Amino acid sequence: MNRINPLETFRIRPSQKVSIRYGRKSYQGVAGDTIATLLYANGVRIFSRSLKYHRPRGLYSLDGECSNTMMQVNDMPNVRVENTPARDGMEVVAQNVAGKTADIDPMAFMDNLSFAMPAGFYYRTLHKPAKIWPLAIKNIRKAAGLGVMNPDFRMPGHFDEIYPTTDVCVIGGGPAGMTAALSAAEHGLRVILLENRPWLGGVFDYRPTAYEGDIPLYRRAWELAEKVETTPNIRSFTHTAVVGNYNDHLVTAFQRGDKTDPFDERYIEIRARSLVIATGCIERPLLFENNDRPGIMQVGCAHRLARTWGLLPGKRAVFSIGDDLGLEAAVDLADLGLEIACVADTRQDGQDESLTDALAQRDIPFYRGWMATEAHGGKRLKGVILGPVTGIRRQTFDCNLLVASAGQTPLTSLLSMRQVKLRYDHHTGFFLPDNPPDGIHPAGRMLGLQDSVEIEISGRLAGMAAAADCGINMDKEIETIKTRMDAFPGPVRGAKVVSAAVKGKKTFICFDEDTTLKNVDQAMAYGFDVPELIKRFTSAGTGPGQGGIPGHNLPLYVAQTQQSPDTEPRPTTVRAPLVPTLLATYAGSQHDMSKRTALHDSQEATGGKMERIGVWNRIRRFSEDVNARAEINNVRSNVGMLDASTLGKFRIHGPDALKALQRVYVSNMEKMIDGKIKYSAMCNEDGCIIDDGVVVKRGDNDYYFTTSTGRAGQTVEWIRFHTRYDGWNFNLVNLTDAYGVINLAGPNARKVLEKITAADVSNGAFPYIGYREFMIADSIPARAMRLGFVGELSYEFHVPASYMQALWDILEEAGQEFGVQNFGLEAQSTLRLEKGHLIIGSESEQRTTLHDVGLGFLWNRKPSAKTVGAVALEDTEKQKGRLKLVGIKMADAALPTPRDGSIIVDTKIRGYVCTARFSDTLNEPVGMVLVEDELSKIDTQFNIYEDDCNGRLITAKVADMPFYDPDGKRMKM
Amino acid sequence: MSFIITCPICGPRNAYEFGFGGEDKGPRPDEEALSPGDWCDYVHMNQCVAGVAREWWIHRSGCGVWFTTSRDTTRNLEVQVETMEKGPNPPLEKE
Repeated sequence: MNRINPLETFRIRPSQKVSIRYGRKSYQGVAGDTIATLLYANGVRIFSRSLKYHRPRGLYSLDGECSNTMMQVNDMPNVRVENTPARDGMEVVAQNVAGKTADIDPMAFMDNLSFAMPAGFYYRTLHKPAKIWPLAIKNIRKAAGLGVMNPDFRMPGHFDEIYPTTDVCVIGGGPAGMTAALSAAEHGLRVILLENRPWLGGVFDYRPTAYEGDIPLYRRAWELAEKVETTPNIRSFTHTAVVGNYNDHLVTAFQRGDKTDPFDERYIEIRARSLVIATGCIERPLLFENNDRPGIMQVGCAHRLARTWGLLPGKRAVFSIGDDLGLEAAVDLADLGLEIACVADTRQDGQDESLTDALAQRDIPFYRGWMATEAHGGKRLKGVILGPVTGIRRQTFDCNLLVASAGQTPLTSLLSMRQVKLRYDHHTGFFLPDNPPDGIHPAGRMLGLQDSVEIEISGRLAGMAAAADCGINMDKEIETIKTRMDAFPGPVRGAKVVSAAVKGKKTFICFDEDTTLKNVDQAMAYGFDVPELIKRFTSAGTGPGQGGIPGHNLPLYVAQTQQSPDTEPRPTTVRAPLVPTLLATYAGSQHDMSKRTALHDSQEATGGKMERIGVWNRIRRFSEDVNARAEINNVRSNVGMLDASTLGKFRIHGPDALKALQRVYVSNMEKMIDGKIKYSAMCNEDGCIIDDGVVVKRGDNDYYFTTSTGRAGQTVEWIRFHTRYDGWNFNLVNLTDAYGVINLAGPNARKVLEKITAADVSNGAFPYIGYREFMIADSIPARAMRLGFVGELSYEFHVPASYMQALWDILEEAGQEFGVQNFGLEAQSTLRLEKGHLIIGSESEQRTTLHDVGLGFLWNRKPSAKTVGAVALEDTEKQKGRLKLVGIKMADAALPTPRDGSIIVDTKIRGYVCTARFSDTLNEPVGMVLVEDELSKIDTQFNIYEDDCNGRLITAKVADMPFYDPDGKRMKM
Repeated sequence: MSFIITCPICGPRNAYEFGFGGEDKGPRPDEEALSPGDWCDYVHMNQCVAGVAREWWIHRSGCGVWFTTSRDTTRNLEVQVETMEKGPNPPLEKE
């Protein structure tokens, strides 16, 4: 299609070509085209097939308010092509149709079957007999729906997120929004302006009508936009759809990036002190028979196609409108070359006389109180029957374009989301806010204003009110401007006609869901009496366009037709997101943040296999052997080193530090001895074990303690929470990242240590469970603990993280002659299992108490300390029927090692395997299991079921722990 | 979690910086003569008022302080309670 001669209002650059593919053909457009306008320029009129009836659908609003123009673009389904700029090479495919374009659809016969599909028919008919339902579901899903998601589809593109804070957030970049932003910015406030379209201007943007004097409205919009863009304290986001408005003025939106932006879409979450909502109006669809035919579009759609994109929307047009914007568009489009057969206005009177005069000058017949009642044609509109609103007379007009609109409807969703009560206003026919809550200021056309200057002034007033919210004294200014407002006509009377006098079989109140007036009537006949319920039953307004198309008409129609004395229209509820949003946009930038220990690089260089465990990267093993046998054997026979830096490490000090420890640790922490480690555990209020670790006393009221890796993040919060009422005086310092830990373990450990420290580390001077502080290599201050987690003579060195690499190198050098080797988590896990030492979370679960894991001996009754979990520990100490932690061996040492199976006795699950490994040291499998207490006696046999055992159960028996070195001689040597 | 909470140290901040610590039920009861049932009520039972509740919050992504504040649960907004006594919520009434 040829574009009309360039106009000042164009948003396209005709010299720059863009080419996309639709179906099997290539289509040319120009820079600035959306996919929709590009296809329209090439003669495409049918953009999709409707959900249920496969009716052809075309351009309607040009703002993406319904699924008519949802298409698959570059394999992504449900793209709103009216809002998506065309880019070279795009592959576009039509949806809900057998072929690649929407022109021919073998399923179109569905339209003739609509009589068989009354509202809610699936649920009311397809369940008798019950067998039909799965079959019906399968076929309905095949025949109906939107786009198809390819499960292999990978979302391309870059997604970002920003969280700006501002004083005033203005939603809507039309005349009211821009003046509001400017007026708030004048007072030095920070302002954010959000606009859905790719440019500012709103309802002024494309209209040549005179503003004040001779300036056309679009030039006025340019002026305002330039002021906004050059005001440094206004940050404007265009092509940004607002999707939510929440408490304390939290506004969520998403912005589409253009070619120059580093993102394809980004999520924007704004916290403001005050809000101006100037979202304006959309058009209320006109209801008549076959109101969805391609070639029927709203006023703004037709007008903007010509003024913004240079496309005359048709050859011969009929207008059936309900407000002055419709008349204005008819006059302007006639001047641009559109042949207009006639204009029908649902209003009897109240029109702007200059507009009706303009129609008369152009010899365009004008029918007052008339409207479209039925459209002719299938894939293309062929004609339309017009008649008086009362439905007495009918007259047919040939045309291929019907510009149809019942009038305006305000976009109040952002108010409704803040629980603003909307009241039906009988003058404007709008749902208007009763009492906007503090800090929310509606402005502009959404209040029913029509006069251009008045719209701007209402924006100015809202901007001032927002400034007042931010603490600026605006009383005088607001007073002045209110007086100025009084000189204007105020909200205009709106057209009230809802529907032509038709039966409504093919009168679509909701395009997305193919809901007709007849469906609504059926729902009411079943007794659904409020729009909210009728919406559910007919699914009107539950499609991708949300309430955009039926939002206003449904309550009006229900109020007008239902048999009830209460005829006050009630709007339906709106919910976020207000427009379809990509999940990828919500997911945002996806920065994966993990922690590395000080030895990360050098360990990896030694061949360490890194694994992500919680927030940390840790070494699982140092060889290809998944069982890490060499590492295990070396610890048992020589000496090994483990990077244990991920342990939680804390200092607690202050006069009440001991009280705090008593509160969270189950043991009596008063009985700590200088130079000796105290091993203890923390429980939750239910007595379930959540953490174990060691505590040492380093001075008066000064303690150092460790937690398991997984608890490090929560420990400070936990202790502070459980002492929150006490007002105790203590300080907690999280040293987890500041300190590193190396565990040196094996029979040769002392020989290594003796070489690198001057301190006396003989068994007498530094015995098992001892704590010492000394210098290593005369330079590294080390906190050394003699522990035995892996069951050998071992030392844990806690040193500042910056010394870790040096200490590692020193130990490696000194240990060379004693066969020192690295070992990783896998080796550690087997080593400690052989010793029967548990890891919280591995050998315990949510409901496992301290008693269940056999650590009940740690608990000390100290009621005055009010220890967390103590009451529950008392209560569960002798409880029957709990799962207990016990060791197992196989009934026969030659049996395979279980992994994570369930324990089965008499076909019932009686417990499960926590950890099991084949122990090279013992030459048989060993494990730890949680089993019902009656199965926990030594030598009890039971079977273990595993997923892939094919019915062959492994028989295990309860065995004494520790499996290795039961007397602990090796740890103490 | 869209509302604003006032941290006694850092001032008003986005609610998602904070962690919820449950209703303000007062200090831990004495363990002497405490029945398991009463203990369970203290730990697990809540008032769940539709209205203004006094609650514990922690500024988790901030300074880490635990504090109490009042929230209108019907509107999900923090409210400044000047006139109301700033004590814990009264204990649950037993039937």
